[in-house]
Amino acid sequence: MAPAIIIIILALLYPLGYMVYGSFRAWDPSQNISESEFVGLKNYITLFYDPAFRESLVVTLTFAVCVVFSELVIGVGLALMLDRNIRGMSVLRTLFILPMMIAPVVVGLMWRYMYHPTVGTFNKTLKSFGLDGIDWLGQNALLSVIIADVWQWTPFIFILSLAALQSLPRSAIEAAKIDGATSWQQIIHIKLPLMMPVLIVTALLRLIDAFKVLEVILVMTEGGPGLSTEILALRISRTATEFRELGVAAAMSNYLLIILLILTVSMYAITRIQENRAARLARQIQEEY
Amino acid sequence: MNYERQNPAFYALLITLIFMAVGPIVLMLANSFKLDVDIIGGTSGLLFLPTIQNYETALCDVLWYELDHLDFCSLKFGGAFINSIIIALISTLLTLVIGCMAAYALVRFKFMGRDTASLTTLMVRMVPPAVLLVPVFGLWNNEFCISKNSYFGEIIRDVFGGRGDVCLAGTHSGIILIYVAMNLPFVIWILQSFIIQVPRSLEEAARVDGAGPFQVFFLVVLPLIKPGLAAAAIFTFRIAWNEYLLASALSDRGTKTVPILIVNNMSEFNIEWGVIMATGMLLAIPPIIFTLFASRQIISGMTAGAVKG
Amino acid sequence: MLKTLKRISLGASTAIALATAAFAGPYDEFAGTTLVVNFPAHPHYNAVMKVLPEFTKETGIEVEVDQLPYMKMRERQTLELGQDEGDYDLVAYVVFSKADYVYADQLENLARYFMNPKLADPSYDPDDLIDGYVYNIGFAGGNKGYLAGKTGSLFGVPYGSETSVLGYRKDIFEKHNLAVPETYEEMLDIACKIPQLEPGMGGLSSRAASGHHAAHAFLLHLAPLGGRVFDNSWNPIVNNAAGVEAANALKTIVDCGPEGAASFGFGEALGSFLNGDTAMFLDTTVVAGQIDDPKKSKVVGKVGWAMHPMGVRRGSQTGGFGIGIPKNAENKDAAFLLMQWLTSKTGDKLTALAGGNPSRFSTHADADVNAKFPHMSIFGEALKHADPDWRPIIPVWGKINADLGTTLSKVLTEDLDIQTALDGVAERAKGIMDEAGYYTWQ
Repeated sequence: MAPAIIIIILALLYPLGYMVYGSFRAWDPSQNISESEFVGLKNYITLFYDPAFRESLVVTLTFAVCVVFSELVIGVGLALMLDRNIRGMSVLRTLFILPMMIAPVVVGLMWRYMYHPTVGTFNKTLKSFGLDGIDWLGQNALLSVIIADVWQWTPFIFILSLAALQSLPRSAIEAAKIDGATSWQQIIHIKLPLMMPVLIVTALLRLIDAFKVLEVILVMTEGGPGLSTEILALRISRTATEFRELGVAAAMSNYLLIILLILTVSMYAITRIQENRAARLARQIQEEY
Repeated sequence: MNYERQNPAFYALLITLIFMAVGPIVLMLANSFKLDVDIIGGTSGLLFLPTIQNYETALCDVLWYELDHLDFCSLKFGGAFINSIIIALISTLLTLVIGCMAAYALVRFKFMGRDTASLTTLMVRMVPPAVLLVPVFGLWNNEFCISKNSYFGEIIRDVFGGRGDVCLAGTHSGIILIYVAMNLPFVIWILQSFIIQVPRSLEEAARVDGAGPFQVFFLVVLPLIKPGLAAAAIFTFRIAWNEYLLASALSDRGTKTVPILIVNNMSEFNIEWGVIMATGMLLAIPPIIFTLFASRQIISGMTAGAVKG
Repeated sequence: MLKTLKRISLGASTAIALATAAFAGPYDEFAGTTLVVNFPAHPHYNAVMKVLPEFTKETGIEVEVDQLPYMKMRERQTLELGQDEGDYDLVAYVVFSKADYVYADQLENLARYFMNPKLADPSYDPDDLIDGYVYNIGFAGGNKGYLAGKTGSLFGVPYGSETSVLGYRKDIFEKHNLAVPETYEEMLDIACKIPQLEPGMGGLSSRAASGHHAAHAFLLHLAPLGGRVFDNSWNPIVNNAAGVEAANALKTIVDCGPEGAASFGFGEALGSFLNGDTAMFLDTTVVAGQIDDPKKSKVVGKVGWAMHPMGVRRGSQTGGFGIGIPKNAENKDAAFLLMQWLTSKTGDKLTALAGGNPSRFSTHADADVNAKFPHMSIFGEALKHADPDWRPIIPVWGKINADLGTTLSKVLTEDLDIQTALDGVAERAKGIMDEAGYYTWQ
């Protein structure tokens, strides 16, 4: 236990404290932090009125929400459709994990190639059907980035919801079938409510990860065009390395942390509530049949 | 095992899904065997004359023969690959050892409640690497240093060379430390969910037979949680192997890892698609192998991490 | 080509060998030293990589090169130059880093080295270095802080410097009987005619991707069209009529350009010209080597070169890289020797023959170089109109540049109104300049 605590304190908690300290300073990478000037809340206030920061906040939230929402819909949908005992399922599951395991840098690289306006796979295919190419990484950059993330992470939700589905009490579903419930009714009234706690945890984990995405976007668009794909993580790293404003980057990191904290805690609370509700429902179903 | 028979549309869907999941990877594999002229020039199909020239270019610093098509070896892929292996393996090993002990202590000596533990894990998992970038960059470069005039500092400078004070930044250990810290909570979390399932009576029986606490741990508990260890190992390895941002801030020219190399070579002067795809493929191969051989463990780790969380 | 290279280097090494015999060897003291240098991944420095073994052979000084993409290189240098003792003995820096490094006192003033009789080569002939490049890249502390002037001095030597020229497809221009554009009006006109004359082909490929690329492309047009970023008292005037015209020119070029042009970085822009997807290319001279390389280019032998078209004045860009010695370097004297060797007449010629960008007048006029690269004389001509003030090189420029680049990218992709966009840039620039203290004396 002790080594674990020491490492976590040394390499996570202390840095986070150091960052809060640094966020009150006009801190430059060529300086030692103690040489930098104390500026109070200036970094936070500047950011608050900075249109670029606000835009990047909007991009981050849009990205996270769209990604989690589409992945949930597609992943759970596929799980419900494919929840059958069939040949080839284990192969599918294995191959489905592949995108998750590959380095984000490489994922970005593959998609940047496929989206390339002239050389890329998509526009070449479109053109071979006589259609116009699409300006993937230009006007549609945010959408393109979202698609790439959906490709990489839908399997995560698919596999978790499949596992959840398969651990549902079979008796309840069988009983519902006997009662003459259509498969649609089974999904709405039994499967989805019982899966809810797992789905919310999964969504929470994806949401947290969606705020961490950086490499895929860095490689694909570097945040452009304009600021249209400049998510906060990217903005932080650019502020630190390109604009050389460590203090501002630290303040930005703190804003991001606060947002994440609020999200996580509220989602966690919802999970607990949902868990209780699902447990009640499970009991109820058991009693009914 | 009995399989249900399904209608053909169902299999069509299955095949489409597999195609969508694997397609981009296959495309990259195919392109890594093409010359740039072919990649750009339009032969989009799978019909082309394969060449290993891209791989030769990528690996030029470790090949034993001279390459005719290169004037000089600019891509030091071999070195980066070795760095990646060192960093990923050591950080995985350390995380497992430390995580195992901590998880065991957490379960058996009840350090914190289950709720506290899971909330803490979640909190730490929540912190994006980008948030760590600024403080870790500052600390590793300026604070976590030994003066070069101190006893240890002198020894290190004599043995390893280099200049200035001895700092964590630019060393393998610096990158390993942050990876271990980032992965520990998750690994502890997975492992404790496996350790909980080890029946206590088994341990007590061993203790009665005269086994010390370490023997109990290594001979009784460890073998039983092997699947958990495998899953934890794969997840830690994956993150350490794939991570870019922190490594790029902490490494110097001698400790660059492969993801840094790939991002660097997406540079703006003439993207060499073939070579980059080849490096991407080389980076992707170890995780792909893990997936093909240990998908069961990966899935169990994933579900343990999420469903039981 | 290799033959010429070998002959020249052979000549050079015999010359040096003779010199060694006569003067007891300026390099002797440093033989066996290993220099660690930081160069960008850039066509010029790729050429340098081919020349470096020659240096080691002549002097016995080993060179270990850390090659990085240039934006990465700048980040790395920010860190290394800030340390008490840095890793690098010699760095190549991007022209706009000059302000940062010199202002933070991180580069050696070269006076001490050129005064040192043991180090300075009497045959170096500094007057042969191209004036525009020297003042733009190596010189600091003159007028406005970054231009030539009586108060400045030298902190680096231009190496891998570039100016802008117009590349055009001779075959396409001949086929449709088009005249090579002399003015901006003609150029924009032709750029938009091409897609109609040659379906599927774009007019002019320009970089336009968000950030540095878009800003660079815009500034490229701003100077010839008569604009400036700041007036003489540092007030932003980027939003005046000339600024709007430059942004309009950029927009026209992108709209009539190849598909997806709005997201092109330099690599993509060059790639589409090399692939034959566009009829013109207006950017740096550094690409010339690749256009005639059949491994990379489909337009070998089809490209003609002309001067950067004129707006209200001639004004081609000046940019690229210089090399300087960090204050915290370990082997400063040996680093100076390398720097001097690379930028000497022989070094410059060797680099040019290997495909680099020469920074000396004599190299541009050299017969061997012109035989191999016939475009060199046009490049030399273009240099006479190089404008060192096309872009301000001040420490806060990075931030203004990034803002300019993202805002212009919005103009190109989101149809933001140009005047509004530039007004915004000017206003924010004013704020940044104010904070940095540029209005203290007003």
